[in-house]
Amino acid sequence: MNSVIKLCGLSKREDILRANELNPEFVGFVFYQKSKRNVTAKEAKEFRQELNKSIKAVGVFVDEPVANIERLFEEGIIDVAQLHGSEDETCIAELKNKGIPVIKAFNVAEESFLEKAMKSSADFVMFDSGKGCGRTFDLKVLEGFDRPFFIAGGLDPKNVRQIIKSVHPYGVDVSSGIETGKAKDFEKMKEFVENVRREDYQYDGNGRFGRHGGQFIPETLMNAVIELEEAYLKYRDDTDFNRELTELLNEYAGRPSRLYYAEKMTKDLGGAKIYLKREDLNHTGSHKINNVLGQALLARKMGKKRLIAETGAGQHGVATATAAALLGMECVVFMGKEDTERQALNVYRMRLLGAEVIPVTTGTATLKDAVSECMREWTKRIDDTHYCLGSVMGPHPFPTIVRDFQAVISREIKQQIMEKEGKLPDAVIACVGGGSNAMGSFYNFIQDESVRLIGCEAAGRGIDTFETAATVNTGKPGIFHGMKSYFCQDEYGQIAPVYSISAGLDYPGIGPEHAYLHDIGRAEYVPVTDEEAVEAFEYLSRTEGIIPAIESAHAVAYARKLAPKMGKDEIIVITISGRGDKDCAAIARYRGEDIHE
Amino acid sequence: MSKISEAFNNKKAFIPFITCGDPDIETTKKIIGELVKNGADLIELGIPFSDPTAEGPVIQSANVRALSKGITTDDIFEMVAGIRSSVPVPMVFMTYANVVFSYGMDRFFLRCKETGMDGIILPDVPYEEKADFDRSAAANGIDFISMVAPTSKERIQKIAAEAKGFIYVVSSLGVTGVRKSVSGNISDIVSSIRKATDIPCAIGFGISEPKQAREMADISDGAIVGSAIVRIIGEYGTDAPSHVGEFVKAMKDALSA
Repeated sequence: MNSVIKLCGLSKREDILRANELNPEFVGFVFYQKSKRNVTAKEAKEFRQELNKSIKAVGVFVDEPVANIERLFEEGIIDVAQLHGSEDETCIAELKNKGIPVIKAFNVAEESFLEKAMKSSADFVMFDSGKGCGRTFDLKVLEGFDRPFFIAGGLDPKNVRQIIKSVHPYGVDVSSGIETGKAKDFEKMKEFVENVRREDYQYDGNGRFGRHGGQFIPETLMNAVIELEEAYLKYRDDTDFNRELTELLNEYAGRPSRLYYAEKMTKDLGGAKIYLKREDLNHTGSHKINNVLGQALLARKMGKKRLIAETGAGQHGVATATAAALLGMECVVFMGKEDTERQALNVYRMRLLGAEVIPVTTGTATLKDAVSECMREWTKRIDDTHYCLGSVMGPHPFPTIVRDFQAVISREIKQQIMEKEGKLPDAVIACVGGGSNAMGSFYNFIQDESVRLIGCEAAGRGIDTFETAATVNTGKPGIFHGMKSYFCQDEYGQIAPVYSISAGLDYPGIGPEHAYLHDIGRAEYVPVTDEEAVEAFEYLSRTEGIIPAIESAHAVAYARKLAPKMGKDEIIVITISGRGDKDCAAIARYRGEDIHE
Repeated sequence: MSKISEAFNNKKAFIPFITCGDPDIETTKKIIGELVKNGADLIELGIPFSDPTAEGPVIQSANVRALSKGITTDDIFEMVAGIRSSVPVPMVFMTYANVVFSYGMDRFFLRCKETGMDGIILPDVPYEEKADFDRSAAANGIDFISMVAPTSKERIQKIAAEAKGFIYVVSSLGVTGVRKSVSGNISDIVSSIRKATDIPCAIGFGISEPKQAREMADISDGAIVGSAIVRIIGEYGTDAPSHVGEFVKAMKDALSA
């Protein structure tokens, strides 16, 4: 259960209006002349009239005569009395006799405050690090304290969740932590309330991520995904399987990938320190190989002899063709006709690797249609075929399997950044289509709430146009491609023909776990336009001598906006999901230059 | 007993499928008239979806044709409301989860009830995901039709135990579309279903000729024919109704013989 919230020290009419909007359980009026937040009975009366009826008003007092408190209560100005002075049990008893609920505050600097609090006859007790002095105290002393309590003093939007997690208070009380320059700051108030109320990340293991996920596929495929789940659960923790996979990832794919300090970019942007997670250096040139090696090994364990895969930019197709070649499996890749044209080089690579590439002409002839065609193909031939899905999407168990195989990215980032900087990054940024490199980059940081997780969606020509693929920013909940998630669609649920310069992000949906991280506010999803991505593509090439995939350039673009706003002691990690060689011809065309490969 | 089961009373049911709005709503109405006239026992009306992942090329094209004219779910409800009184046989919708979900499940099934529909087939909503749809459909007297596939194996019992209306037996692997032959184990599937329920079983996917329909109906309670009809509509467009009528008559005669 969430802790209740008390926003304390409201002293202006606008504070009340803001509180009404945020709807905390309690607000506090300070009746203590020495306080800068002191209010008169008359002011408080007006505030109470403006305040939502559902919010309880707490009067905060320091050794105030009982009669005064009683009067405020009788007049309906306050609902609860909070006592911060040396009020004794007699005083509390008097108030309680009048039917006034009492919160008794205990200064944690006081001797044996825990014992006193335990014995107090007040309805609630509060632990305060000292009358609004804004310091927090060592929370460990509260371990084992066995009655509901409020906690106050030094709380702010940033630390409140950590405090809630460590001591599970009944209520959190905040005043100076939601102020800027001695006045209440609405943004901080809002952030505080949201952070207290935010649902915790929970994964039930059944392919549900909050209201998203599931298995919306034809009956014909149900036993295939059930079998896949059983096999995955069996091999996930199997020592031999993991040894084999790790060896392939390290010796064949070249892991761990580097975490590179982009010094020139950092200096140029003049803010946060920027590190690049170099998934582009993996064999086959992108993060896709991480998942593919895992799935291909799993498929082989399941006795499958044939891999089928969808591909957008061709990176997943190339990775699948590569794994198939290595493991001696047959491979068929479905690719939108449109994409076979804009990513001709990758089509050739796949064929060179021995895969059959089938251009898909249905629908918009892009990634979404390639996924549909793959699903159709799988229903035709299941016995010997594994559908090697390339992103954290589709029916359960794919979003979980792909996430787990990609989680190596954040596992490495965490270790590498601790070695280099001795602390966690402040933000991790990755591009999101279906969302596999982003999920891999985020996963091991989900529980580290100080780390901002930022997914960059392809806005195409802008989220206010129809030529966009920014699913979280422009889509709504739907059911498609086996999962419940966010999708770009019209009012009748017809899937929208999305657009992005990047074939890999040109998809109308997003993986269900991302949809959930968005719902609970744990990750942010920001739109990045074609133009911004192309500029970032050029920028990283020029500045660091690294040509990123146009997909990854979306993440670079957002980092360019964010880094200057952050402090020099803060750290951003950008996942460079793939290399940009494949995009050179298209970017040249975008810039009006026609090159012949 | 639901109205759907009447379609199977003392006869082998012939169940034609068409995509609404292909090539336009007026033609769809005329085709429905022909289906009724030539002996359809239950009619499956497809609400087009942009990305029908369980369909082969023939029905995919029908979806594209219908949507390119801007047809909407509301247009289809309106059409059904207009013709329902002249169609004596039960009618069910066939569409995809997102069409229903985005319309609002309760709102969708209420409209189904108001317009006189009897059931719903959603090929991308398997047993594990049906609860919400089934609840909302049932509350409006609409049967949620379950599908059983050649790969269903031990799942058949639980699917059949909760089935309503009729069971849609998928004849073979793959997507919808005309096939020369259908897979071999259908009689086994049907007898397995019979152990769990008395609800009628109709076989679909790949049936295009009167002889096939007869064979399928012999081992079950009816035959569903989609792609073969939709192909005729694709070929003849607005002139399709009479051609569809002839085809349906031949199929129905084979089943009644």
